[in-house]
Amino acid sequence: MRKYMSIAGISIKNALAYRANVTGRVIFYFVFIFIFFSLWSAIYKGNEIAGYNLTQMVWYICMTELVVFCSGSSIFGSMNHEVKSGSIAYQLIRPWNYIFKKFAETLGNITFSASIFTLMAIILGMLFVGPIKNFDPIAIPFIIVSFILSISMNFFILMSLGLLAFYFEENSPFYFIYSKLLFVFGMLLPIEFLPLWAQGILRFLPFSLITWAPAKMVVNFSFEHALAVLPLQAVWCVAAVILALFVFSRGIRKVNVHGG
Amino acid sequence: MAAIVLDKLSKTYKVKVREEGLKSALKSLVKPTYKEVEAVQSVSFTVEAGEMLAFIGPNGAGKSTTIKMLTGILHPTSGSANVLDYNPVKDRRKLSYQIGAVFGQKSQLSFHLPPVDSFRLLSNVYEIEKSEYEERLTQLAELLELGEFMNTPVRKLSLGQRVRCEFAASLLHAPKILFLDEPTIGLDVVVKHSIRELITKLNREENATVFLTSHDAGDVENLCRRAIVIDHGKVALDMSVKKMKYDYLNKKVISLKLKDTAAIPEMDGVTPIKVTPYAAKFSVDTKIAAIGRVLAALDSENIEDITIEEPPMEEIIASIYKGNRKGGEKT
Repeated sequence: MRKYMSIAGISIKNALAYRANVTGRVIFYFVFIFIFFSLWSAIYKGNEIAGYNLTQMVWYICMTELVVFCSGSSIFGSMNHEVKSGSIAYQLIRPWNYIFKKFAETLGNITFSASIFTLMAIILGMLFVGPIKNFDPIAIPFIIVSFILSISMNFFILMSLGLLAFYFEENSPFYFIYSKLLFVFGMLLPIEFLPLWAQGILRFLPFSLITWAPAKMVVNFSFEHALAVLPLQAVWCVAAVILALFVFSRGIRKVNVHGG
Repeated sequence: MAAIVLDKLSKTYKVKVREEGLKSALKSLVKPTYKEVEAVQSVSFTVEAGEMLAFIGPNGAGKSTTIKMLTGILHPTSGSANVLDYNPVKDRRKLSYQIGAVFGQKSQLSFHLPPVDSFRLLSNVYEIEKSEYEERLTQLAELLELGEFMNTPVRKLSLGQRVRCEFAASLLHAPKILFLDEPTIGLDVVVKHSIRELITKLNREENATVFLTSHDAGDVENLCRRAIVIDHGKVALDMSVKKMKYDYLNKKVISLKLKDTAAIPEMDGVTPIKVTPYAAKFSVDTKIAAIGRVLAALDSENIEDITIEEPPMEEIIASIYKGNRKGGEKT
């Protein structure tokens, strides 16, 4: 455990070396929220849609974007690159589990992004629509756990998709499809907007558990919701870790390192 | 005691073959064709503990592939390897505590951070006690002449400084076997020299087994007693460096300083290289002309100074590669 902590520690230092990178993403985040704020303001006429009012909708999108901006979408690209260039092989010479090493390594970036974008989310939410009514501080620990689970789940799924480079020369379609699924099943709209039968299915799928589950906890907290989604999130998170470990351990046998 | 044992170790890559043209592109979508590349073919040898072995061969001969199989990075297609009584693939993590590797072309340090940070990280990865780590680092810093630059981000280091840090990073856990894959590539003479000294010291003081691949003949000549030449994935030659020099190239280069005009003995096997009024340089093929006979044929009155040199290692290696390319089996 100490070794992974140490890797995470280093990665925070490393994250600070990439400050320029963050500025761009902060602007992007702002533009994104602004567009959705404009869109929802045009649609809402002081009423509620599917149980969400305008304030909740804007906070909702702030939160789902927060998940995506924190998960370090770069993990897909970085895995993809490491597999294709063969540099993943050199990582095997050290006594660590590569998957956890990589997670620890990204943890610095995640923590760094999380602190910046949480701040951004709160500022923009307050600025555009003001505080959420009836927000109960008791929700905070549940929200934090839910975010940790959904960011980790997203991380390990993206990692598995990146590791598919072992098997496919062109694996970016998987990434494309996955991010679109995330987008439509929970990021753009709460699943309550969809027909009941679809909601019934989506509640159990990782896409909405990554986006909808934690965001709803922020905008409309209930113990009922928390107790329903947290165990599912935990199960999917473990499943995603196992998936990444599996794809890696199978794939690494196929690794070819050229040159020399 | 044997540190490394290879038994008919082989690695075959499957490479997708792409032909030109749209038609074959479509065909390869449906039914891709693969070409098998035999990178390493049934290689067997043993390295004793404490030995320094040069593992040489031309580009693409299978050197790095072999190293990668020995360190557990690559899975062999067939045959087996045994390193310090571990199966590298199955016991990769256990083995990794016992071995170190330096890849001259691949940095293992964190690019944006000072090497010290990477060292500390590695000490945790290898579960080295803090006091032990500090002691070891001081020792390595002295040995490798790591100075203030340990605290400078890697990207700002010169190649020589970086390579020395790479060595330190691979030696923190006092590995029993050191795999060096072209460690001196791109280095200037001085740094090369200090790296060689370091390797010799490690071998002598810690009895570390050294498995070295290099294109630098000087590395081979100065460090190793035994050399294995691999070509086209097969062992082409396995003998002592001394014997290789003696056997393989029966050539001596004789330089003379003369009082008077040069006189090179005219006999078969003697080829002039450079002749000036007061000096002469020529090579002797000792298979054809025995060196004694050549010396006897010289006008001893006329000679002021004489140097007899062995040909540089580089030439020997080049001639081995060339000979092998012709496809002849060497005795």
